[in-house]
Amino acid sequence: MNFSFLSPIFLIGLIAVSLPVIAHLISRKSGFQKRFPAVRFLLASQGEMATRSRLKDLILLLLRALIIVIIALLFAKPAIFSFSRADSSEPRTLAVVIDNSFSMGYGDNFNNAKEEAVRLIDSAPDGSFFTALPLVPERGEAISVIQDRASAKKDLKQIPLSQTFTDNERRLEQVYSALEKAPNQDKEVVLVTDFQKNGWKSEEFTRTWLRLIDISDAESPWNRAVTDVESRYTKESIKVKVKASNFSASEASELLTEAKLSGEEIKAYIDIAPGDFTTEEFIFPRAQKNEGPEASGSASIPEDELRIDDTRRFVLSRSGALNVLIVDGDPREDSRLSESYYLASAAETASELLRSRIRIKDNESFLDEDLSAYDLIFLTNVGEITPGKAAELEEYIERGGTTVIFSGDRVRAASYNALLKNILPGELGAPTQKDSTLISVKTDMFSEELFEKIGQTTVNRSFTLIPAQGAETVLKLSDETPFLSYFGYGEGNVFLFTSTADTSWGNFAITPVFAPVIKEFLDFESLSNTKRRNYVVGDKVRIDRSPSASSITVKDPSGENLKIEPEQAVFEDTELTGIYKVLIDGDRAYEFSVNLDPLESNLEKLDVLSIESEPGSELGLVKVFKELWRYFLWGVIALFISESVARALFS
Amino acid sequence: MSNGILDIDTASRLKGFYFRTRSSVRGQKSGIHKSLYRGISPDFMEYKEYNKGDELKQVDWRLYGRHDRLYVKKYEDEVNLSWCILLDKSASMDYGDEGSNKLSFSKKLSATLAYLLLRQGDSVGLSCYSGLDSEIIPPRSGNSSIMPIVDKLENITPEGETALRKPLLEALEIYKSSATFVLVSDFLMEPQELRESLQLLRASKKDVTLFHVLHPDETEFGFEGSVEFLDMESDAKVIVDTASIRHTYIKRVREFIDELKNMCHEFECRYVFTRSDASVEEPLIEIADK
Repeated sequence: MNFSFLSPIFLIGLIAVSLPVIAHLISRKSGFQKRFPAVRFLLASQGEMATRSRLKDLILLLLRALIIVIIALLFAKPAIFSFSRADSSEPRTLAVVIDNSFSMGYGDNFNNAKEEAVRLIDSAPDGSFFTALPLVPERGEAISVIQDRASAKKDLKQIPLSQTFTDNERRLEQVYSALEKAPNQDKEVVLVTDFQKNGWKSEEFTRTWLRLIDISDAESPWNRAVTDVESRYTKESIKVKVKASNFSASEASELLTEAKLSGEEIKAYIDIAPGDFTTEEFIFPRAQKNEGPEASGSASIPEDELRIDDTRRFVLSRSGALNVLIVDGDPREDSRLSESYYLASAAETASELLRSRIRIKDNESFLDEDLSAYDLIFLTNVGEITPGKAAELEEYIERGGTTVIFSGDRVRAASYNALLKNILPGELGAPTQKDSTLISVKTDMFSEELFEKIGQTTVNRSFTLIPAQGAETVLKLSDETPFLSYFGYGEGNVFLFTSTADTSWGNFAITPVFAPVIKEFLDFESLSNTKRRNYVVGDKVRIDRSPSASSITVKDPSGENLKIEPEQAVFEDTELTGIYKVLIDGDRAYEFSVNLDPLESNLEKLDVLSIESEPGSELGLVKVFKELWRYFLWGVIALFISESVARALFS
Repeated sequence: MSNGILDIDTASRLKGFYFRTRSSVRGQKSGIHKSLYRGISPDFMEYKEYNKGDELKQVDWRLYGRHDRLYVKKYEDEVNLSWCILLDKSASMDYGDEGSNKLSFSKKLSATLAYLLLRQGDSVGLSCYSGLDSEIIPPRSGNSSIMPIVDKLENITPEGETALRKPLLEALEIYKSSATFVLVSDFLMEPQELRESLQLLRASKKDVTLFHVLHPDETEFGFEGSVEFLDMESDAKVIVDTASIRHTYIKRVREFIDELKNMCHEFECRYVFTRSDASVEEPLIEIADK
């Protein structure tokens, strides 16, 4: 016979025991003060009373503390349990839930679970009803009970191993709720599981209607997995960082790790300490000329008992050439006087290296422009921004776009603050006259050579800026006000210059610093223009598409074509691991990968529910609980009465 | 004359009352008290054989002619009395709100008593004392003598502890002849000190009357909840649950009152207990004769 709590979370209420103790101490130490002539009699009386009073206080304190303890225990649902085989001869409604989270793929666990479930169905008394369900539900699942054992067993055998996991407690509650209207008064949910920790919120989830059966055949299952892959472009190479984890008690030494990318393969031997991970970086040289807009690959380690997490796939995507939009809010007849002149000159110089397409638009044209076609947008002295355009710009940045804003005399701070408040690195104030030079703050963005030249820049006028939370100052002026600020919004980036991109407010545009700074933006966007292409099972994938796209189809790793609404452009059926292909208007657009959530790779079992050390832990034996809360309730009532009586007697 | 200190209404109501000493006194003027001095009163009491020191004018020469021996006449005379009112002005007396303040009540009692005593021809002095100091007004007779007494009473500042011995010795220096000492106090002091003081007074052949003044809070302890009490005359303080201590406290106070009563009985002193929220009339009537 063992003692347990069905809702141990309520044991936290035991902390409340301190309340009567604190109240007792406070009552001894405070009270209102009164000047009194006859304190001598009080002192004399207290001496006499002290022992008696202390005893009474202690009795009351004890009773009150006990009341709180018993109430906390009452809510925690105390129960005694024993192991016994379910051999009730009464017909029942039985929901057999097979843990199909991917950790069950370890060894023969999943097959064992199904066999055990079949035995449960076979051994149920005549007249019983059944339903066989996976722990990780399938989309559109309908729970129904049947009396036909053969059909139930057939359903059971069709349950697939999932590539994800679920909130186990919620799922079990859902299954039990579904049995509410089922026949037979005796209803039971049996979970056949490996007791792997992931998926359980609490260490001890127990219900009287629930039986848990442990089918794991290993005392201490061990597993190694590729738990993460990060890939990025550099100027000369593609770096693939592979994280391999060792979820076992023994060291993994000289573990062969492979990274594959576009037909090339690199191998390395790594060592991983028990319960630890190792990150190995694989560097693939770039073939600049023949390089496509995206590359896909995989990282793997040798197969073990749980094969599904030994390989991880990835997709690396970049646009072939940067599409740059320069919006000139103050175009001049002599183009050399325009902000866009300096900006375009600098960008064109840089584009020789970075392959970019530059378009210049005036303020009015900008309002009609489709921003999603661009990778980088410069707004220079743009005075007019409509609410609709502001919302589009916000969405553009949220989806991963980069915007660089230059100020100027046409910029109205109030309008910017109102319309672009979510994306601006701060709140713009009024422009002020000054005579300041430039100081670099975020030096890692610039080369040492450029950093030395920054001091040549003088600024005569700039907007004040109150930085927003999370914003960074990249360049500042010698009067300590921000000159260039950065703010990350959604998946995109916003840079704000508080001065102009021409010579009207300073000499920034004609210093040797200007062109390299603009190139940094192009560089930044080019290198970071690796769109998000890697997801885990269950993620929602936002599909990159142009607004004119009329049909979007996603081909999953099993080869099934799944259509999604072009307006929403969100793909949710990421239940399988592998490479998904996106087709927009029938044309192949790009790929993305879906991998396992590494949480499930850790096969560590639940401490409390693990029954390996309990007597009767043979396969199929279950915990039978007897709840004791009624006794505790009577105890609380008795204590309340005792406390009232004691208080009346002592007062 | 302040109505606040002197209760004129009470004094008027007690017009027919006289305050007498319990034993005979040595007086100089004609009064209502029995005199120990024989010889000048018309009420002859007895003859006494002449002794050295007897005044020659009191010798009955006619008797000498008949018996050839010197006798002096002894008369019973009524003489006036000196009263010494000793008022406790210690800090503990300054307890209670207006209307029940112990010191205010005691001042009123003292002033009214002094007024009545002066009106019946006695001389009255006042000593306001505490552990820090004592201020004495020597005994004076005549109705106008009430003024300095009232002035003194009005200007009392409550302070210090209740300490009787020193002011008592100072008063005894002044009241060498017969006098009645009236002690007005809460007597929140060491009982032994009070015992010694009463012993001293009685040894000096002084009549003693004790007005024991306590506030209703001190006798009934009508507080509620948990209260931290700070002593008014010392640094002592105590936190008590008033409900649980009330019974024991009241018992203690009663024992204290009984102890005072027994002490007074032992030393043949008059003991009058009064609450500070009562009228001064009641305690005065207790010591008055119709």
